[in-house]
Amino acid sequence: MFIEIIDVIISGLINGSVYALMAVGLTLIYGVSKAFNFAYGSLYSLGGYIAFLLFSLAWINNYLLVFCLAAPILLVIGFFLEKLLVAPLRKRDDWEIKVMMITLGLALFLDNSFQVVFGARMKSLPTMLEGSFELGEFILSYQDVAIFIFSIGGILLFRWFLNNTRTGMSVRAVAQNPEGAQIVGIPKEFVFAATFAISTVMVGMGGILLAQKYFITPTGGWDILVKAWVITAFGGMGSIKGSLYAAFIVGMLEAFVGWHFGMTWTLIALFAVLLTTLAVRPQGLMGKWG
Amino acid sequence: MLKITNVTKKFGELTAVNNLSFEVAKGQVFGIAGPNGAGKSTLYNMISGLYSFEGSITFNNQSLGGLPPHKIAKLGISRTFQIPQTFPSLNVEKSIGVGNHFGSKDGFEQKYVDKILEFTNLADKRKAMAGQLNLLDKKMLMIGAALATKPEILMLDEPMAGSNATEIIKLMDLIQHINQDLKVTIIIIEHFMKVLTQLTQELLIIETGTKICCGDPVTTTNDPRVIKCYLGDSRD
Repeated sequence: MFIEIIDVIISGLINGSVYALMAVGLTLIYGVSKAFNFAYGSLYSLGGYIAFLLFSLAWINNYLLVFCLAAPILLVIGFFLEKLLVAPLRKRDDWEIKVMMITLGLALFLDNSFQVVFGARMKSLPTMLEGSFELGEFILSYQDVAIFIFSIGGILLFRWFLNNTRTGMSVRAVAQNPEGAQIVGIPKEFVFAATFAISTVMVGMGGILLAQKYFITPTGGWDILVKAWVITAFGGMGSIKGSLYAAFIVGMLEAFVGWHFGMTWTLIALFAVLLTTLAVRPQGLMGKWG
Repeated sequence: MLKITNVTKKFGELTAVNNLSFEVAKGQVFGIAGPNGAGKSTLYNMISGLYSFEGSITFNNQSLGGLPPHKIAKLGISRTFQIPQTFPSLNVEKSIGVGNHFGSKDGFEQKYVDKILEFTNLADKRKAMAGQLNLLDKKMLMIGAALATKPEILMLDEPMAGSNATEIIKLMDLIQHINQDLKVTIIIIEHFMKVLTQLTQELLIIETGTKICCGDPVTTTNDPRVIKCYLGDSRD
């Protein structure tokens, strides 16, 4: 019993850490450009498929190499998706709604493309690290430890980027005051595209990290979109800190509900918690209203 | 140095600025006044690139038509807003640093940021969060962030709004210092005529987007057409 609870907590922490990485990316787009990206889940699958392709190359045999190659690929894809699909809409009225529609369209396009190119069958990635740490009944696989470390590492890297680089500074300035930022010489359009690109990398990395445990399927991203959305709404739209807390709460909740009531109950439990939170506190845990 | 020629801005059926022309010379403090809704802020939004427009606006003989705001900021035109715009979760020093980082041709210089902090009387509040400052300090900070871009022209939009008499004197003092010590040309929109007559060398009066008159502030404020647009016509 005691060991089981420890297992559940660990699984909650590990899933929570990957959710945090992905939810921070989603909340970043919302915080900076006030637009919601419906294709976020499909970009998660895209990350998985890119890693799958990279692993199929003979000379690629480890995750570090895959991360180093996948990150710039995702960055470029994200940047151009924003420039080609989202940026032209921003000049029109009601662009927030139009962005939702076009990203929804993008999601369907990507999912169907995955199906055509890779087929409907699940794809798997090799395990990052074999083996496990064992102490009596307690077992901790090295793979889980690696996933946790890479997710937290990704979040810390993102934090460093926001606080210490020129682009990071301009991202924060645009999030807080888009007009003021332009007036002091920050290219707003570039910041929007950069934000989209960075969030694509974050969710794509999440896709690669989780693919070794949950496989890659053409429509597998929808679950992730729903979870990432629940986390950002629960944590407070646009609040990075809120998303971090919410991601771990959701990870834990999922683990405990799944363990005690069965996996089918986890999404229902998530929505129950989300709805209750929003009814009491419409801005979410740490969101600011207006 | 800044030349506005036959500029018009329409919002649907409404003409906010109508065939307006004027010129601001280097080193001047140039005032703009007019009743609410006269198109003063619209004019700033066009010059700083937030709105498109018909006609021509040139700065040092370079046309500003179609340039995005951040490019215009880099050329050396900076501005403030009626309602102080700050970056709430950046501290005072960083807020000014942002302007210096992105707006200035020379890039970030700590020395220059320190100078601006002294200049705007914010040196001892450099670590305070911008969101927590009082109104006067927020205004000072907004002007400071604009100055950090090393502008040639600083456009102030009703800097005195909501300020008491002591604060107005402080702000007027600051504006004069900016003009004389930093050699920055200033355009100022203001409702307080006293401020305008004391600060400016040239004053433009507009009403419903149209030029009423333009000239030295004392003559302008005594012009019967100006008195009419502010006080109404006794024959009406």
